Amino acid sequence: MKTNPVYKRETMVSARSFRLALILVIFNSILALVILLNMYSVVERVKLTAEIQYSSFTTLYVFVAVVEFVMLMFIMPALTAGSISGERERQTLDILLTTTMKPSEIIWGKLLSSFSTMFLMVVSSFPLLAVSFVYGGVMIHDVLLLLLCYLTVALLCGSMGICFSSLFKRSTVATVVSYGVLVFIAAGTYAVNIFMLSMARMNMDSSYASSINGVTDQANSGPCLYLLLLNPVATFYVMINKQAGVNPVISSLNNWFGPHPDNFIMNNWVLLSILIQLLLATIFILIAIKGVSQSKRRRIRKK
Amino acid sequence: MILEIKDLKKKFGKFHALNGLDIMIPEGSLYGFVGPNGAGKTTAIKIMTGLLFADSGQVLINGTDVSDGLNLLKQEIGYVPDFFGVYDNLKVNEYMEFFASCYGINGLKARSRYMTLLEQVGLEDKSDFYVDSLSRGMKQRLCLARALIHDPHLLVLDEPASGLDPRTRFEFKEILKELREQGKTIFISSHVLSELSELCTDIGIIDQGKMVLSGSMEEILRRVNATNPLVISILGSKERALTILKSQPCVQTIAVKEGDIRVNFIGDQQDEAILLQQLIDAEVMVHGFSREQGSLESLFMQITDPDKEKAVLVHENESGL
Repeated sequence: MKTNPVYKRETMVSARSFRLALILVIFNSILALVILLNMYSVVERVKLTAEIQYSSFTTLYVFVAVVEFVMLMFIMPALTAGSISGERERQTLDILLTTTMKPSEIIWGKLLSSFSTMFLMVVSSFPLLAVSFVYGGVMIHDVLLLLLCYLTVALLCGSMGICFSSLFKRSTVATVVSYGVLVFIAAGTYAVNIFMLSMARMNMDSSYASSINGVTDQANSGPCLYLLLLNPVATFYVMINKQAGVNPVISSLNNWFGPHPDNFIMNNWVLLSILIQLLLATIFILIAIKGVSQSKRRRIRKK
Repeated sequence: MILEIKDLKKKFGKFHALNGLDIMIPEGSLYGFVGPNGAGKTTAIKIMTGLLFADSGQVLINGTDVSDGLNLLKQEIGYVPDFFGVYDNLKVNEYMEFFASCYGINGLKARSRYMTLLEQVGLEDKSDFYVDSLSRGMKQRLCLARALIHDPHLLVLDEPASGLDPRTRFEFKEILKELREQGKTIFISSHVLSELSELCTDIGIIDQGKMVLSGSMEEILRRVNATNPLVISILGSKERALTILKSQPCVQTIAVKEGDIRVNFIGDQQDEAILLQQLIDAEVMVHGFSREQGSLESLFMQITDPDKEKAVLVHENESGL
């Protein structure tokens, strides 16, 4: 199978640069610090209480997984937002476009290379994450689901970065817009639900007599809850909560935004949201291909 | 005919970059594409190389319309842009291998191809050097080698000599001559007109998005020469010569400059021969009689802004020459 030339070049160049090593060191150092501090607090508690709280290792697993997720979410746009616009700034994109490589192959090569970096980060952090496996409680399917969540967020954030990189001429602008959209998806969907919930509660307050207590507890954010299917943070939170055994899926969502009816979406939230986010990533990639391709410009009309 | 462009038009907003451009590049030629800044040279080149689509018109390669298949265009053309970047942390041989694989050439075939090309451009001893450590001239030669990796029939160079010192330009010129001898068709856009006139077999002058003059170099220089003044060098007194010249119907203006008589003579070669005979019969000591050699610069100046050229002539008249 022929290796994508852009992927091959990118991985070769990144392996030579100091940047990759620095990213790995910082990434794993932060995780190691989190784990070591956590372990230290567990050990100190044991010294005080003479009791080993095994649930704290599950908490450790959750904590490390969350930190890793957040770092991935913020590192991926930084890795990809300069991919196409950087080529444009270096004036290498025109030469690349005059070759017989298709724009889709160029985009795919860029995405694959940032994916390799992400994969390297995740794999290099596994020994740290495995500290929590020592005392059990984490099953193999939990780890695979965690990996799937990481892959999804990496693909979503990476494709977003590449999309804006192909649309904007400057890497700085592409990076800023990528982070802006990411914050909008992560925090904006949450904020919409909070707003709708508070509106629902206010309506209930005004509709019923104030002597009827607990009525506002029935208020919910309505169909806006399903916006959270786009939100990788929400997906991850729901998934990790379920794994840690703290709250089942539906309860955790209800804790946020009021009671919602039990349906197919609520029962299969994690998988559905992963599928929707992968679809969104595909849309970003298609936009990126269109952005790079000359076909967006008007074709020669034959006389 | 390897490349033909018919009535090409391209507009950017309200600005007409190309306004019905026609180009015919014969196979095996070294075609010089000349024009003032903003004439539409780079736009035309970008359309030829598939980086832009025109609003209307046709681009034909060996008779095939490229709108039917962009890949055909890309396989047949090698492009060297005016400004190009290189990748950091990539060696010369890796750079060549990368672009070879972009054209689907891999393995041993790619290696032998790029080693031959690096030797041809004089970079065979730099194959293990990092690309960003090369000088401007070396990068230019590397870019040329890169453009040839897929063995295209037509090589398009946009201002290849810009930023190069005279020696590097000379070396580059030699490489282009060698490529032409190998049967490549070369299309070169440049402002260094003196070099183009030595190098090119055909030339096209573009102004305001339209071709204003095109043809073989020989034909164009002959036209230029025909409009240039006669320079007559005479020993001794010039009085008799001036009297004869003033009586000639083909003589428009006479000027004495640095000891030579410069005559704007509108006659043909036969009229020139008759004039020379008359001077000799009148015992004028003529030791030089020829048309001033035409230059591409003066033609370029005349065609692209005739008003400027008139201003020069007025100045000469006023100075009494």
